[in-house]
Amino acid sequence: MEIDKTKCVGCGNCHPVCPMEAISLDTDGKSIVNQDKCVECSTCYRLLRNEGYPPILVRIVRGILSFFSLQHMAPPDVCPTGALTPPELEYPRSLRAAFSDPTVVHAGTGVGGRGTEEIKTNDITGRLRTGDAGIVIELGRPGTGAYFRDVEKVAMALSPLEPHFEEFNPVTQLMTDSKTGKIRDEVLDEKVLSAIIEVKTKLERIPEYLQTLEDIQTELDTVFSVGVASKCLSDGSVPHQQWVEKAGYKLSLNGKTNLGLGRPLFKEETA
Amino acid sequence: MTNTLHRQGKLEDLKGDYVIFTSIAKEIKPGTAPKIHEFLKICNKHGPINIGSSKYGTVLQDDVEFNDLITNLKDGSTSGAVFTDVDTLQKVIAELIEADLGISINVSGLLEGVHECCGKNGIVRHSVEQSLGFWGAKDRLPERDVLEINSLCGHGMVSFNYIHKMMEQVRMRKLTPKQAVKIMGKCCECAVFNTDRAEKLLEKVLET
Repeated sequence: MEIDKTKCVGCGNCHPVCPMEAISLDTDGKSIVNQDKCVECSTCYRLLRNEGYPPILVRIVRGILSFFSLQHMAPPDVCPTGALTPPELEYPRSLRAAFSDPTVVHAGTGVGGRGTEEIKTNDITGRLRTGDAGIVIELGRPGTGAYFRDVEKVAMALSPLEPHFEEFNPVTQLMTDSKTGKIRDEVLDEKVLSAIIEVKTKLERIPEYLQTLEDIQTELDTVFSVGVASKCLSDGSVPHQQWVEKAGYKLSLNGKTNLGLGRPLFKEETA
Repeated sequence: MTNTLHRQGKLEDLKGDYVIFTSIAKEIKPGTAPKIHEFLKICNKHGPINIGSSKYGTVLQDDVEFNDLITNLKDGSTSGAVFTDVDTLQKVIAELIEADLGISINVSGLLEGVHECCGKNGIVRHSVEQSLGFWGAKDRLPERDVLEINSLCGHGMVSFNYIHKMMEQVRMRKLTPKQAVKIMGKCCECAVFNTDRAEKLLEKVLET
């Protein structure tokens, strides 16, 4: 995101809106975006309604009020002069928007933002079959963001376990080698709101993956969220639960349930 | 829609937080717009507190009306609605089964509650995903109430600082909790922001 300094009146409304704390007041009294921190999510641009006031008028009114030690507090969801300006993004910076802006459909996955279908379409695709486990590691969430160099660190730490990185996942598509988890050099310094490493493995291997994540977490300057998924058994029980508990971890009481209302495009193999 | 998985809260809070949403497999995307319309119409009949679609916004946003929303939806649009009790959810699921749309429909919420809904409606849940929480540099995370509100948006678009600002505005009586929640909800493009839960968390600010 960029801020048009000819329009900005330095009201500061956009500063707290930014999920990455990338906007601050510059020495000239106008707002500025730290381009390294900004992940091009466009939350500021979408949320803050452009009131369309002429900048000169707003500056004069603010100046007069200031002279009398008064202040006008604009509503918290407006930009008085429409100073926020989404730039044209070129690769690799365009990846920031592709991963961070949910209104941008990722070209490689057809899904908005950094998401994938995960188990959400498992009733139709059969992505996870009986005995399979899905593990999702979302780096940068909640609220801290992540550089791809962090993402690579985790992907490479997992690689000795010979994971199957999901092909239709935007992180996998950035790997130069899905066996090592190496990510393209030119994107390593790009920052995103979050990025999801998605792995398919066997249920009994869940403890090894969790131990690897346990080991690598101290080497990261960001947070990550972990999820585990599996196809339910015929009685509706959830097979991954015993493996996670065996590894000594606690699962959330809430989660995502695929109701199974889709029409399958696959046939489950019977043992 | 991906990370309704990591919604935070105590058991009592989670009992009022069910997000139902479509997810369209790319293999069946062509021709799904009418099915998504039907899904949203069924949800809307049951009075969700939030409803919308990730590409077209939510009814919490200034310029989005429900009828315009469904008119603009295209094949494959991920759409969802938020309900605050399991009984209503069960009725919605019953109607969706009856409608036989053939698309994937998911619910984020208390697993046992959803499992019971499935049982009462004569279906067996297909797949389940659970959270193992937050790992890594957790010292960078804010206090629990702020995290709870932040996790109510699937993409985490309601920033920690904005939540702090809204709490401050409520504390100073410049905004009511309802007004503050309406503004925060506009940050969430996917219509999964639970305004009821956020409002209760902001009301706590007034008690302190």
